[in-house]
Amino acid sequence: MTGFDPTLAMHHSETQVSVELQTPDMTLNLGPQHPSTHGVLRLVAKVDGEKVEEIEPVIGYMHRGYEKLAEVRTYPQITALVNRIDWVSGFCNEIAFVTAAERLMGLEVPGRAQYIRLILTEMTRISSHLLFLSSYPLELGAATPMMLAVRDRERVLDLIEGVTGGRFHPNFNRLGGVKPAAGGGATQKKLAQDLPAGFLQDTRDAMVHVLGVCDEIDGLITGNEIFWERTRGVGVIPADKAMEFGVSGPNLRGSGVRFDLRKVEDYLPYGDFDWEVPAGTEGDCYDRYLVRMEEVRQSVSIVLQAIDKIPSGPLQAKVPRVIKVPTGEIYVRAENPKGEMGYHIVSQGGRVPYRVKIRSASYSNLSILPWLLKGALVPDIIAIMGSLDFVLGDVDR
Amino acid sequence: MRLRIPGVIKGMWVTLSTMLRKPVTVNYPLEKEVLVPRARGVIALDIDNCTVCMLCARECPDWCIYIEGHKEEQPPSKPGGRPRTRATLDRFAIDYALCMYCGICVEVCPFDALYWSPSHEYSEGDIGAMLHEKERLADWMKTVPEPPDLEA
Repeated sequence: MTGFDPTLAMHHSETQVSVELQTPDMTLNLGPQHPSTHGVLRLVAKVDGEKVEEIEPVIGYMHRGYEKLAEVRTYPQITALVNRIDWVSGFCNEIAFVTAAERLMGLEVPGRAQYIRLILTEMTRISSHLLFLSSYPLELGAATPMMLAVRDRERVLDLIEGVTGGRFHPNFNRLGGVKPAAGGGATQKKLAQDLPAGFLQDTRDAMVHVLGVCDEIDGLITGNEIFWERTRGVGVIPADKAMEFGVSGPNLRGSGVRFDLRKVEDYLPYGDFDWEVPAGTEGDCYDRYLVRMEEVRQSVSIVLQAIDKIPSGPLQAKVPRVIKVPTGEIYVRAENPKGEMGYHIVSQGGRVPYRVKIRSASYSNLSILPWLLKGALVPDIIAIMGSLDFVLGDVDR
Repeated sequence: MRLRIPGVIKGMWVTLSTMLRKPVTVNYPLEKEVLVPRARGVIALDIDNCTVCMLCARECPDWCIYIEGHKEEQPPSKPGGRPRTRATLDRFAIDYALCMYCGICVEVCPFDALYWSPSHEYSEGDIGAMLHEKERLADWMKTVPEPPDLEA
């Protein structure tokens, strides 16, 4: 047997060197490719053996200049742009933007349009959280949940595509409602873009499958010994620190703060339904995982209630052909699957906004990373990073 | 007290049960999925309906539509009348390498000249070939599906 034998070393105690063993700090560079398929992020870690001394995220590789671009695009064109900020939840990105512009214009959105918005928002949230439930175990080395969750996420995406025409970039919201017609011509104008026939029943079926896959992953992963070892007590964010860093969404709720903009703000009729805001207790990776799992179930419940209650009626308020937003400024925030998504729009009365400031959830959630990873072990970097569930398109914009 | 089943056994059970089930995936190039009628795959052009008004080209967020036209003198509709000029389409091209598939052009067209089609198999090895001229765009008209029925 080769290797270090402690009993041998004891015999040579006279020759023992009193100098402590030291390893020089090593700088470890993760990325800038996809370190765990969230986008292009580079992490510069200073490690002492297995321990992270200091870590610095280098961002900006995916910067596309959307805030500047929005200054030279009309409002309907910006709706198509904001889809691409957080690409796994395109529909949710639109909501806050159109609501902000509608409030400036003083538009009242018809009830049916609001319900369609709400149903699609929650379905996008389900698809985004299912992606987390599939990719997070994958990052910890379990490949099966990926296959299970993506299988049923596809059902949800197919339904979104059936309504909007796009799986990821729906571009379905218009100022004053949802997309009213296929085209502006005399023939196409008659083709209203209401929900296609069978959508409500198909959604009910898909929701059953979503709950099924949640239970499947729950049984496979939630109680798994390896998963417990990797996530419980790892990457603990105390509630006060989470609020200090501006962490929002499921990451904040994982730390035990029951704060959900769907309850606080009134951008969509969430008050009509009976649902709960799940929250964790410890604030570790495991709690953040559980919160997302529970949020999928709550979203399913909201969607099912909304389908039963959906009113009929027009899809759009009366909007002028050339959309000009009156002078003023406004900040509207909405609950994205990742956290708080807000738009500060300054308008000077033209067809294009003067300035659009985007507050995206992932950027603030990522800012806690250097604090959180200080003192963590190298194998935990990916476990902690993955549990924050950020998308680099949302960070860099 | 509930008996805890070790994760390994659970995992193996999932493997076994999945092995015996039918796969959910489609063997793509051989079998094809039928896409929803509203899917935004490619934009088809109805040449006869286009009046060269340039609205689509102006509203396009990334200016990937190229339109050229000229005025043509039309004979007067009744004898002794004034000769009219009519805009005629020379070139209509969409650069699909630039297009972001937002559908604004289809929406703003006031004359029903543009339609969405779910066809999507037009990838090219050369980026220049992604520029579809009007003949190719008109060809896509064959693939435009009937719009779906609506939820009551």
